[in-house]
Amino acid sequence: MGDPRAVAELLAAATDDDRMAWDELVARFTPRMWSVVRACGLNDADAADAVQGAWLRLVENLHTIRNPAGLGAWLTTTARREALRVLRRELVPLPHDIAEDSDPAAAILEADAHRLLWQAISSLNEPCRTLLTLMAHRVGNQQSAVRLGLPLGSIGPSRERCLKKLRTLISPEETVQ
Amino acid sequence: MSNDDYLLAALRLAAGNDPVPNHVSAAASEAYSLRIPHVVTAASIECVAMRTVRGVAGPTTVRFATDDVTFDLELTVNDGLIDVAGQILPYPGEGSHVDVRTPHMTMSRQLAGTGQFAVTGMPPGWFNVVCHRPGKPPVATRWLRIRP
Repeated sequence: MGDPRAVAELLAAATDDDRMAWDELVARFTPRMWSVVRACGLNDADAADAVQGAWLRLVENLHTIRNPAGLGAWLTTTARREALRVLRRELVPLPHDIAEDSDPAAAILEADAHRLLWQAISSLNEPCRTLLTLMAHRVGNQQSAVRLGLPLGSIGPSRERCLKKLRTLISPEETVQ
Repeated sequence: MSNDDYLLAALRLAAGNDPVPNHVSAAASEAYSLRIPHVVTAASIECVAMRTVRGVAGPTTVRFATDDVTFDLELTVNDGLIDVAGQILPYPGEGSHVDVRTPHMTMSRQLAGTGQFAVTGMPPGWFNVVCHRPGKPPVATRWLRIRP
């Protein structure tokens, strides 16, 4: 997010009956929520439920968000929890599972760091550079193995290793909002 | 699950090849109209999925509570639709009613003296139950998602 104050202002306006402010929040944060729930492995219908569930949680908590500037992280964390709940077929969160604390890793999405991510990927050696690009474009393991000339069984471990390298490269930015 | 979910999501978001479907954004926008002024939210305190003696999936019971109201809900999937049978305890008094709401429709029921109510044939997906009590703020359950 470029301007966290703007988010806090939008949330305050939405709390105060301003539908346009709510729609601005929806436009700003739904794409990253969608990406998060899809990354959890949900199909389109379940992903739609998880994102809708996260917005309904905001309706439930509209007056009690502790850190309005961190609303984006709160929403992505909540969307991921709803996605995991869909995967576990849980009906409703129990009291201990209220999304108050955002996961620090969500800051990668919060920072809206598309350019930073591509720069980091470009600086990696092969096969990480190509493998992460293929992952970004949702290319499956089998096709990735063919394109990279690697055994299929090595794609999983390579993917883990490459994501770890990428995380290290962008780690200073992970903590910057 | 690892935090790689977020990293993977950021990569795919940056690639821009999985745009949000319009109906997802529309549903997020419509959620705003589901706010209820001065509502008290009841927390879920118990959720039990029952099975028959032959192991077939049966109704699910969920209990929500505030300091002064308890919602007992029994949810049954019937031909792909959802039936809700519930009871508000203690009985909130004459003139009280419940709204069983989905994001797209609301079904209202006057409460019997026992606090019981029932709604049948709801579409699967998200819903909640709101109890309106004369002279007191409304109480709502958290939103639940149920699909066959």
